[in-house]
Amino acid sequence: MSIQLYDQEEVSKTVQEKFSKKAFSKESLIKSSLFIFASIATIFIFFIIIFLFALGGGFFQKVSFFDFIFGEKWLPSRNYFGAAPLIMGTLLVTIGAMVIAIPLGLGTAIFIAEIAPPRISRFLKGAVEILSGIPSVVYGFFGIIVLNQFIRIFFNIPSGNTWLSGSIILAIMCLPTIVSVSEDAISAVPNHYREASLAIGATKWQTIIKVVLPISLSGIMTAIILGIGRALGETMTILMVTGNCAIIPDPITNIFSGIMTITASIGLEMGETPAGSIHREALFALGIILFLITLAVNTISNQILSRLNKRFQGISHKKRFKNLIFTQKLKENNFYLRLKHILKKYKHIITYSIVSIIIILIISTWIGWLNALLVTLIFCSIIFVMRFISAKNKQKIWYGVVIFASIVVLFFVGIIIYYIVIKGLPAITLEFLTEFPSNLGREGGILPAIIGTLSLVGISVLFAVPIGVAAGIYLSEYSSKNSKISNLIRAGVDNLNGIPSIVFGLFGFAFFVVFCDFGISMLAGGLSLGLMILPTIIKTTEEAVKSIPQSFREGSLALGSTKWQCISKIILPAAIPGIVTGIVLCMGRAAGETAPILFTAVIFSQRKLPNSPLEPVMALTFHLFILSTDVPYADLQAAGTALVLLFLVLILYGIAFIVRNHYKRKKTW
Amino acid sequence: MNIKVSIRNNKKENYSDLDSARNLNENNNIIECKDLNLWYDDNHALKNINLKIKKNKVTAIIGPSGCGKSTLIRSFNRMNDVIENCKINGEIRFHGKNIYASNNNVMQYRKRIGMIFQKPNPFPMSVFDNVAYGPRIHKVNDTNKLEEIVETSLKRAVLWDEVCNRLKDSAMGLSGGQQQRLCIARALAVEPEVILMDEPTSSLDPISSGKIEDLINQLKKKYTVIIVTHNMQQAARISDYTCFMYIGELIEFGETKQIFERPKKRLTENYITGRFG
Ligand SMILES: Nc1ncnc2c1ncn2[C@@H]1O[C@H](COP(=O)(O)OP(=O)(O)OP(=O)(O)O)[C@@H](O)[C@H]1O
Ligand SMILES: [Mg+2]
Repeated sequence: MSIQLYDQEEVSKTVQEKFSKKAFSKESLIKSSLFIFASIATIFIFFIIIFLFALGGGFFQKVSFFDFIFGEKWLPSRNYFGAAPLIMGTLLVTIGAMVIAIPLGLGTAIFIAEIAPPRISRFLKGAVEILSGIPSVVYGFFGIIVLNQFIRIFFNIPSGNTWLSGSIILAIMCLPTIVSVSEDAISAVPNHYREASLAIGATKWQTIIKVVLPISLSGIMTAIILGIGRALGETMTILMVTGNCAIIPDPITNIFSGIMTITASIGLEMGETPAGSIHREALFALGIILFLITLAVNTISNQILSRLNKRFQGISHKKRFKNLIFTQKLKENNFYLRLKHILKKYKHIITYSIVSIIIILIISTWIGWLNALLVTLIFCSIIFVMRFISAKNKQKIWYGVVIFASIVVLFFVGIIIYYIVIKGLPAITLEFLTEFPSNLGREGGILPAIIGTLSLVGISVLFAVPIGVAAGIYLSEYSSKNSKISNLIRAGVDNLNGIPSIVFGLFGFAFFVVFCDFGISMLAGGLSLGLMILPTIIKTTEEAVKSIPQSFREGSLALGSTKWQCISKIILPAAIPGIVTGIVLCMGRAAGETAPILFTAVIFSQRKLPNSPLEPVMALTFHLFILSTDVPYADLQAAGTALVLLFLVLILYGIAFIVRNHYKRKKTW
Repeated sequence: MNIKVSIRNNKKENYSDLDSARNLNENNNIIECKDLNLWYDDNHALKNINLKIKKNKVTAIIGPSGCGKSTLIRSFNRMNDVIENCKINGEIRFHGKNIYASNNNVMQYRKRIGMIFQKPNPFPMSVFDNVAYGPRIHKVNDTNKLEEIVETSLKRAVLWDEVCNRLKDSAMGLSGGQQQRLCIARALAVEPEVILMDEPTSSLDPISSGKIEDLINQLKKKYTVIIVTHNMQQAARISDYTCFMYIGELIEFGETKQIFERPKKRLTENYITGRFG
């Protein structure tokens, strides 16, 4: 009897061992294949950097770095490669956009998060979300047909293609980012801070300004930095509205001057450069500069953010130490103490006077010294009078300001949609949707462009989804937080996310078109788009998987399931809605992007549909771009194309929205 | 904000100042509730509350969970205004004046009736800025004056010795008990007359709670304190008057000694002796 028992145990042990061994090897196989996918993302980052430097680096052997960035003449046809006008153009147009977008965006965010009744804030949020779905060529088209005309007539200047219009349009494009991210940050401030402030007798507005905003400052900074990133990297809109003259505005505050940005010059000139020419190298060198600028912005912002966060967590040992040394010095030297005291006492007056001097300097170039002085005086006296207004009335005034900002934002949404629909609707006929273009797009339809856009999106999704989802799962489930490799991957993903889309175009051209020899083709364009959406897919997958409560995992693992069984049976099904939402949003983005396919995939006109992915295609975005900039008397067709494009993208965004809301309601944990 | 203020007693509202002053001297009541009713949507959270709070005394509000203690104490400084679905009917008189009579002076009343919350909620700023927040809001801008206010407030909250070297450090680095005393200092900095405390020690360890209790004992010389507590011993230790509530109604109000030793109502006795939770 006892022997028998022994035998049974033996048998079951070996079976168990075998079973677990098998399971174990399967586990490690899955883990390593996920790891490979995650690495691909990182490898591409390094590829992008390597190709950029390999193709642009040679340029600096011919022209010195110093001459390049400080040279004031950009005339490639005559071998002048001074990028200063382009760099200045990029910075100026971004600064202008931020001057408009930050107050508007922040005001709207405050209104949505703190003041508006729920129904109105939901409506405003939806409106802002529409702005984020509008493709950049559509913004450009709107700029050409509406904004530039308006500026030309209103300011009575010869051409509306100005720095000002570029900044206004860019500001509108950055608004959704700034509004939604800072609104999230403001809403995330716990209610007990508000209550504490109100209980001391502060008004609601005082609470917002002195408590809520400082606490959400890091989120608001993130919002602004993301906005800056978007403005720096935008290509097509700028290309279409700013006139593209590579000059530094004279005087530097002349907002009616035409301007050209780094991105615009790459987008505009890349197609014409012969292979191996110095011009092409110069454009890649510009790509390097752009890459460095975005890198600098990201690094600086990370520094600021980590400092802010430290301040709020009460970590300030270093500072205390510094204070100690400083106060010792102060005791030795009474002068410093007095100076510091005076500075502290007149802090407000000093900042106000510095700000007003800057304002005078800027405004005086527009309306003359005296008027500028007058304007600033009025401004200062308003600020001065504000001090004597009761807190309650101040609140009323500021509520008015914030509501006004929201109305302006709503106005932008309304007027853009209105014009595109009104101008585009007459063009939409069955013929327009089902025929090939003729007479430079002035007649016929846009069928090949629709099909081209769809197939480009298809290829990009086929490429990016498997890699992105696998990498996202690896990052959230398998990588430990501190391992060097996953940190590298994560850094790679973050950087890939910040790269302007035109750089993906440059890389796609250098790698897919030339190096892989795909030629200008659907495949090359689709892969470039795929690379562009890859980081977003990784991120949304990672977040969707991470948001599944830990108890689900523990429940499954406690039943003896392997890690992969737990992931595939429990976690992925629960995370699918989040992942799908991310993918659909990316499809919308890919459909609306132009820069990555500009010199990798598209041609303007096609007599028949492409037979293989190695042939070039038409695309809605590119078609709209050419019709509105290069083809005279094609306004109707351009507007029709814009409407179809807008419709396509907004449909995708709408699907994402519905999926998200549908599952949010069903979600019970 | 659906605050509906009853103007039923509008005539009585117009006490002459002399009248109300005499009233005060007689009864020494700083806050009076008259027929106070409060609803959250359809939930009748406070039912016909009539209550007189004595000046410079500690009044404890006790009662089982969900009986409306927080709701009552929050209506003393109109903190219920921020809750959207809340509707109030009746009067609360502060120095004889109905604080719900108009919406204009809410900030002033909140300044004079300070509040301490259950969880310490200092702002994520420096210790100094936390205490200076109130005075700054109410237009004290002079640095010397601010420093003076901060120091006296922190001293009154018995926190000065512990934080005088780290005024510029973030308040988030303080311990829970220190944070709660900082909140008290923050409330004291605007020179309130009444301090409302909603379970101020429930998230603290016994030693920190003890310190807060000592502090309350000192505060009553200068301020009127109204405190909500779940801790029966605490109520007995620190309060002069006790008010027992049950499902939105005020069951019994009287001197603490009387309430704990000879409760008049059966319900009160049951609660105090722990016969129901
Ligand atoms: N914001 C609100 N919205 C709706 N109902 C509320 C709200 N706050 C409280 N209530 C309800 O009002 C009643 C009284 O709540 P209150 O918070 O005043 O009780 P409490 O005596 O303070 O309880 P506890 O001892 O648990 O703090 C409860 O029934 C509660 O559900
Ligand atoms: Mg309570």
